[in-house]
Amino acid sequence: MYESKTKRWSLLFFVLGISIMMSSGCNTSEAPFLLNTVYVRAKKNEGLGELNAAQQKNLADTLNAIFGTPDTPELPQIAGVDFPGLVDLEKLRVAAGPVGRNESGRELGLYRKHCVHCHGITGDGAGPTASFLNPYPRDYRRGTFKFKSTKGTDRPTHEDLSRILVQGIPGTAMPSFRILDEGELDSLVHYVRYLGIRGELERRLIETAADELEDEELFLDLDQPGSGIFQERVSLIKEELAAIVDSWTETQVTEVPPPPVDWGSDASIATGKKWFFSSTTNCSKCHGDTALGDGQTNDYDEWTKDWTLKVNVNPLEDLEKIREYERLGALHPRNARPRNLRQGIYRGGRRPIDLYWRIKQGIAGTPMPAASSQLSDDDIWHVIDYVMTLPYDALSKPQNVPENQREIR
Amino acid sequence: MTLAWTTFPLIWVGSLVTTYDAGMAVPDWPSTYGYNLLFYPWQTWIAGPWDLFIEHGHRLLGAFVGLITIAFLVVTFRCDRRRWMQWMALGMLIAVIAQGVLGGSRVLFDSRFLALIHGCTGPIFFSLTVIACVLTSPHTTREQAGTCSSAGHTLQRLSLFTAIFAFLQLVLGAHLRHVAVDTSHEVFRVTVFFHLLMATVVLAHGIALALHVRRHFHDYRPLRRAANGLALLLCLQMMLGGATWVVKYSWPTWLADFQFAASYTVTAQSLPQSLIVTAHVALGSLILATALMLFVRSLHLLQPSLNATSPNHRGLLGVVV
Repeated sequence: MYESKTKRWSLLFFVLGISIMMSSGCNTSEAPFLLNTVYVRAKKNEGLGELNAAQQKNLADTLNAIFGTPDTPELPQIAGVDFPGLVDLEKLRVAAGPVGRNESGRELGLYRKHCVHCHGITGDGAGPTASFLNPYPRDYRRGTFKFKSTKGTDRPTHEDLSRILVQGIPGTAMPSFRILDEGELDSLVHYVRYLGIRGELERRLIETAADELEDEELFLDLDQPGSGIFQERVSLIKEELAAIVDSWTETQVTEVPPPPVDWGSDASIATGKKWFFSSTTNCSKCHGDTALGDGQTNDYDEWTKDWTLKVNVNPLEDLEKIREYERLGALHPRNARPRNLRQGIYRGGRRPIDLYWRIKQGIAGTPMPAASSQLSDDDIWHVIDYVMTLPYDALSKPQNVPENQREIR
Repeated sequence: MTLAWTTFPLIWVGSLVTTYDAGMAVPDWPSTYGYNLLFYPWQTWIAGPWDLFIEHGHRLLGAFVGLITIAFLVVTFRCDRRRWMQWMALGMLIAVIAQGVLGGSRVLFDSRFLALIHGCTGPIFFSLTVIACVLTSPHTTREQAGTCSSAGHTLQRLSLFTAIFAFLQLVLGAHLRHVAVDTSHEVFRVTVFFHLLMATVVLAHGIALALHVRRHFHDYRPLRRAANGLALLLCLQMMLGGATWVVKYSWPTWLADFQFAASYTVTAQSLPQSLIVTAHVALGSLILATALMLFVRSLHLLQPSLNATSPNHRGLLGVVV
């Protein structure tokens, strides 16, 4: 009796084990670039047209024809569009493709080795591990990057991307890749830009297709390459691509003036504090009166707003639409969390120059606004002065201060 | 025992290969960059890139384990008259060859799925070496069979199920390690959930097993030591599992208000990261082997009809193989 029971259980677990092994990973074919179907749905929710399966496949094929595949990426062969120093095909091919070494011993597949599990094969920030991570990994396809030295929503420089790769981001899952040599880092930066450019063009083509296509019309009908509409669409692709490339090449680093002579003094800190709590800057609105990051915490970042608030979908109320997005691969919307300034941990870097860029230009894609129009350069330095003292005052170390003696500095 | 002691480092190095994603560091097999495995220039191997070093090292160590398995087979046929033990030694040789071919196929087809299976079958071979170690030990052959009782049945059931759950846990862990690049985050999340669930089940079984042995078989020193060791390994494994998550993906968000969590920056492929992750995988194999060892020991000690020295007895062979 006992033996037959044990045998039955053993058989059950054996079958279960085999089923688990067979349930995933069997497919060894090349991982494709999948279309940004979340954005397709967002355009539908916005009131533009709904793209059917054939139209979506046509768009995906068009993008693959322009940019190649994850294993063999290509640079768009479109007359008049080049990528000066922006994306180098040789470097792309080191970063792309499966992990391994070629016959000459050169390491390949750096993106899949180091990045893909979080950032995904298309750079959508929704790789296998993404749902566990907070904040979610960056979605490159918008071309928006948070920690950079350039103005507002301008694209980051090569150094900005490289710096994040080397330093990582404290308190998040983004690691430091200081083990990689300069050539490998360079290849990864090129590949990230490639995915960013590809993703941005994809978004623009989806917008156009959702807006213009009739019921059965394809965006680029390869059976009719000589037609007027075909030529028109090729011209459109060329224009959009050129505009995207320009946005990357024409980006400018924000110059950082030297701090004022009284920087570091009590007067400077007091001025910074005044600005921090003023209605002009509204710093305390989000970071809180205590600067613990407990002010307004119900806002969303731009990556989330693209398919929610901007297309009239409320993440808290339109739950059925949110579930539809999630079925298409979107990550559940999360609120953007303002930084707790009393910890002295700044994700984009802790150097004063990093804080200057954050305050002066804001943090692209997040509710953190630019203060460039409200504050003078000296006042920005004063705010930095105040912010940098916060981790050291009494409220930041409450265990050492009796509750009735705590006060906001 | 030599075989078990050389297979365990092979498990470590194999795990290190996955930790560094070095499975394709050598693009050919069974040769290494065109050289016979054994004649690949050692200077190039030692001074070469780290991933090449560990992948080629894994192959060399695998070949060494294969040779020891052949030696074990020869010694078993010459010195051990137990027929089923000879069959087991032959089975182990076939298993180690199959494991090598599986590893080679993973390279030839550049297949993560084959790497996953290779990672799951490795611990099975290691467990076989540990079982062989127990069965060929002079202590085991000298031990007298005990009295079969309901407590003995419970012990056998607990140890068998702990081993089965530990293997399922290994399979789940291998899925997390060898996750395909286009796996959806929902699938990964479900796998993590079951990995955590199974961790709880294995831990509960392991602790129940240790308590059961302590209560009913306190005088059986080999059983008591193995059961206590298993419980200890499981506790250590839980800590390593948590540490693996932290060194790979940082501290969970609910700890973000603490300075240590907010200021922690993950360093990719750092020494602590690779050691912790690799140790977590290797310990999983050790847990499986220990649970199976307990099962085999309990069968041997507590079945009155068993006589380990009998060359014609097939009951034990039926359970083990």
